[in-house]
Amino acid sequence: VVEPVGAWAAAEPAFATGVGRRSGSVDDNQPLSALHIVEAVQRTTKYDVPPREGTMALSQALFDAIVDGKAQLAQSLVEEELKTGTEPLALVSETMIPAMDEVGKLFQEEEYFVPELLLSARAMKAAMTPLRPLLAAKGAKPAGVVVAGAVKGDLHDIGKNLVTSMLEGAGFQVIDLGADVAPEAFVAAIREHRPQIVCLSALLTVTMESMRTTIAAIKAADLRREVKILVGGAPLNERYATEIGADGYGATASDAVALARRHVGLSN
Amino acid sequence: MSAEKTIGPRRKRALDAINHRTPDGAPVDFGGSATTGMHVSCVAKLRDHYGLEKRPVKVCEPFQMLGLIEDDLKEAIGVDVAPLMGRGTFFGFDNRDWKPWSFNGLDVLVPEGFRTTVEPEKGGLLIYPKGDLAARPSGHMPKDGFFFDAIIRQKPIDLDNLDPEDNVEQYQPLTEAQLDDIEEDARALESGDYAVFASLVNTNLGDIAWAPGCDLIEPKGVRDVAEWYMLTASRPDVVHKIFDRQVEVGIDNLARIHQRLGDDAIDVIFLCGTDFGTQTSSFCSVRTFDSLWKPHYAEVCGWIHKHTTWKTFKHSCGASERFFESMIDAGVDIVNPVQCSAKGMDPRMLKEKYKGRLVFWGGGVDTQRTLPFGTPTEVRAEVLERCEIFSQGGGFVFNAIHNVQANTPVENMVAMFEAVKEFNGRR
Repeated sequence: VVEPVGAWAAAEPAFATGVGRRSGSVDDNQPLSALHIVEAVQRTTKYDVPPREGTMALSQALFDAIVDGKAQLAQSLVEEELKTGTEPLALVSETMIPAMDEVGKLFQEEEYFVPELLLSARAMKAAMTPLRPLLAAKGAKPAGVVVAGAVKGDLHDIGKNLVTSMLEGAGFQVIDLGADVAPEAFVAAIREHRPQIVCLSALLTVTMESMRTTIAAIKAADLRREVKILVGGAPLNERYATEIGADGYGATASDAVALARRHVGLSN
Repeated sequence: MSAEKTIGPRRKRALDAINHRTPDGAPVDFGGSATTGMHVSCVAKLRDHYGLEKRPVKVCEPFQMLGLIEDDLKEAIGVDVAPLMGRGTFFGFDNRDWKPWSFNGLDVLVPEGFRTTVEPEKGGLLIYPKGDLAARPSGHMPKDGFFFDAIIRQKPIDLDNLDPEDNVEQYQPLTEAQLDDIEEDARALESGDYAVFASLVNTNLGDIAWAPGCDLIEPKGVRDVAEWYMLTASRPDVVHKIFDRQVEVGIDNLARIHQRLGDDAIDVIFLCGTDFGTQTSSFCSVRTFDSLWKPHYAEVCGWIHKHTTWKTFKHSCGASERFFESMIDAGVDIVNPVQCSAKGMDPRMLKEKYKGRLVFWGGGVDTQRTLPFGTPTEVRAEVLERCEIFSQGGGFVFNAIHNVQANTPVENMVAMFEAVKEFNGRR
């Protein structure tokens, strides 16, 4: 529905699944982002080096740990794997991104729900911890850059956090601006980070209009042609998205990922 | 309380509806509970529209900033239900000792414990648990916002050493003073000819609204919204223990209320506000619902049905239909808010499938689109259609789908009330 919390609140989101949570990503305020993954690797899953013997068995364990949402296990499996010389990019592209794809598939099939999605996102984040500096050192590029936030006046960010986690799991670098984000903050972030995609989230009927003003501010700053704008949230629909001049509407986190992939030229 | 409550036309209409008999018209609830109310600004606009005595509206529910719908407004819009809520609030202070407060320029009344400070930089409002300005604030309203959201005050979590007791601090036995207040309020409703809708015990099992512990000075346990959701999947053993304790305290409180008030003072009791549906899906599978929630609901509903004549009311937003059979099995009599805009919540299908088995309390008009953004003509058409569908054979209490939101045009609200009257006039 439309307003604050839970029982007393809104039927829930789509992008914005959520309720009374302050800004910050699923686990904390550290953006998962910086998933530095070579775009080509994302598409073709080519190794820089051939996989060593035994990689697949351990990768299966890592795959399962992410799908099962076991954060500590996922991280320790990555650490073990790195010790034995496994190529970081291979771990990400061969095992971790496919694991998050599987999570998305299970969510779409209603085998998984919000709690499982959150657990897997946390496991993915934990698994990325030891990999992030190694990938950055290699100068790897993400699949795309996304700026995301819940719009001005809206403090609900669980749905937005799900979207950002899923995007990061799909290899995007996400600049998460948090909740209650003013139009000028989106504009500044676009100037600074040069994203291909901007994701706007709102849970409330009384904050939906902030999406329109945000898009207007992006236009006024002459940045509209540089970005694709995707919107989501419980009270939204395709018609509203079109009416306010967005490029796409996602009813679920999986939809958002599919749209983002399409906009950067990746197949789903 | 020994005197039997009168059954006048309003209460009879509601009782007929909730007992699946055809009433003389669709009974109406606005203000009966924290999920069937109206934003205080809407209540103020309606009072102006109907030319009622000019006075500030009381904010009777400070989290969502719901306004008290007094008897004169009930009369004007045709309400048949009255709330019995006790004095406690979501932020842990009591609804008493009212004081004037300016809410975005609107003069309202808030309880003495409603104490706020202005958030540095962004200029929003911060509100404090139990009105204690020395505590960390537990609620936040953005500048120019319309209601509060929880501030998460999560301490580090050790998942291997969780103590379920940490999460049941909010669920305590009622004090004798609280029971006295409840009895006093119930007595005041005796002469009102309203069906009485009681929200008195916190058997909200895992309601995400309550998870952050906005009423607690220093909440312990799992208080982060995302962490709570994850806990339901990763540690159902802990969640069961929390629910066990909550149900134990809840039933004890119900028994003491029943001992004081008897059957007749209450017609409907709010059971739980946990949302199971989302816009397009749900928060868990039916299998999880059946294993994690259903046994606890069955225990509470079982006690209520064995010892009282009260009907049990379950709120669950979104695409909740998949859980209805389980809810019926557990002893739920009434569902709300009947979010027909969510996936799989077609009103005709719902009525056909659950006629005589579930009361639909809500579903009257969409508060995401039609009511706030539609025209009065569109509102009227939707209300008439919903009344036509849901009213057949009773089992329907008219309410919008959840609370009427701030910024809803007054002409749309009036169109909604007039459409219900039009429908009822045809019968």
